[in-house]
Amino acid sequence: MSKIKLEVRKPEGQVVKAEFDQVIVPGIEGDFGVLPGHTPFITRLRPGILTCIDNTVETRWAIHDGFVTVEADMVLIACEIAEKSDDIDAERAREAHKRAEKRLRVKQDDTDFRRAEMALHRAVARLGSLKSDSEL
Amino acid sequence: MAIRDIKIRIDSVKNTRQITNAMKMVAASHLRRAQTRILAARPYANHLDTMLRTLKKKNVASRHILLDDTPRKGKELLVVVTADRGLCGSFNTGIIRRALSFIQENPNTDIVCVGRKGYDSLRKRTDRVIEHYVGIFNDMEFFRSRDVADHVLDLYLHHDYARIKVLYNEFKSAIQQNIIIKTVLPVQPLESDIVSSIDYIYEPDEDTVIEELGCKVMHVDMWRIMLESSAAEQGARMTAMDSATDNATEMIGALTLQFNRERQAAITTEIIEIASGADAINQ
Repeated sequence: MSKIKLEVRKPEGQVVKAEFDQVIVPGIEGDFGVLPGHTPFITRLRPGILTCIDNTVETRWAIHDGFVTVEADMVLIACEIAEKSDDIDAERAREAHKRAEKRLRVKQDDTDFRRAEMALHRAVARLGSLKSDSEL
Repeated sequence: MAIRDIKIRIDSVKNTRQITNAMKMVAASHLRRAQTRILAARPYANHLDTMLRTLKKKNVASRHILLDDTPRKGKELLVVVTADRGLCGSFNTGIIRRALSFIQENPNTDIVCVGRKGYDSLRKRTDRVIEHYVGIFNDMEFFRSRDVADHVLDLYLHHDYARIKVLYNEFKSAIQQNIIIKTVLPVQPLESDIVSSIDYIYEPDEDTVIEELGCKVMHVDMWRIMLESSAAEQGARMTAMDSATDNATEMIGALTLQFNRERQAAITTEIIEIASGADAINQ
């Protein structure tokens, strides 16, 4: 089976450059799997989990804020934050999750909803990428 | 000057030389780090730039405020990027001078200061400073420059600024910095012919993508500017400290010569005294 190239670029540098059997990307309109020969398209990302499948090995990344360009044999992701699931501090993510939820629940005039909501999404994505490593 | 005093001077200049030399080394290693980060940002920045160019070429008709580069009337916003620290030659003074002359040429300008040196100086000389960021360069992280970029974006979108320009030191090489003014908003892709020839489908649609893309390009532009300025700062400091070290060495040389002369003179005087004493006894 032919493989698909994946490159993930952050402002701090390129974090992934490898080939996989399948890549599952969190697009703004929903998650989608990419196999070689996909129709070229560009979409925004939503905070979510990028899953790279190679044989039976799955690597997961929590990614937020960016774009994905899909070409026939290539997936290019440009995003401002990408963290490998192994590097994520579960405790911190849980704290952030709680904080964001609280901020959204306790309605105050000066609450920046968009920010709080983004923070919540991020925390959910981070926690999600950890999920099947160790059930939360 | 007495011999003892010269000795004290020599020791104090030696101490200074040690400090300037150490600062030079530190600046050199910071410079290397900044350079690596500039290189690391390139794939991401180029990726966004290519996307932007491709989109711009494709639907010139649906223009977005972030990209619309037809001249408009309105206030100017100048982001002045200096260092947080001094001891780096004319790095900061050059920028401050340029900022003041810019305000004189364009009286309808507001200023956002990044870096302590620029803020300290400009807030005394003009009342145009509306916002300042201090301490970014101590701990350079992408999200910090993104905060600045987001604030500037907000000013551009919700207050009627016609353009946003950034005044900063461009990094040419370790010994050369150029002061330049770059327009960051409306967003302009880099000059290049690289356009993707593939006909992509855009999700949700082109306009949403272009709006978000404009913000992201702005973010990474700001990041690149901060990195360049920080590399230029370290380069300037390295050069300044290098010549300070050279000067100190030269000074130590001159003082040592003077010290030896004085010492020689003292010895000669003593010998003459002894010799004439002996002569007096013999006669």
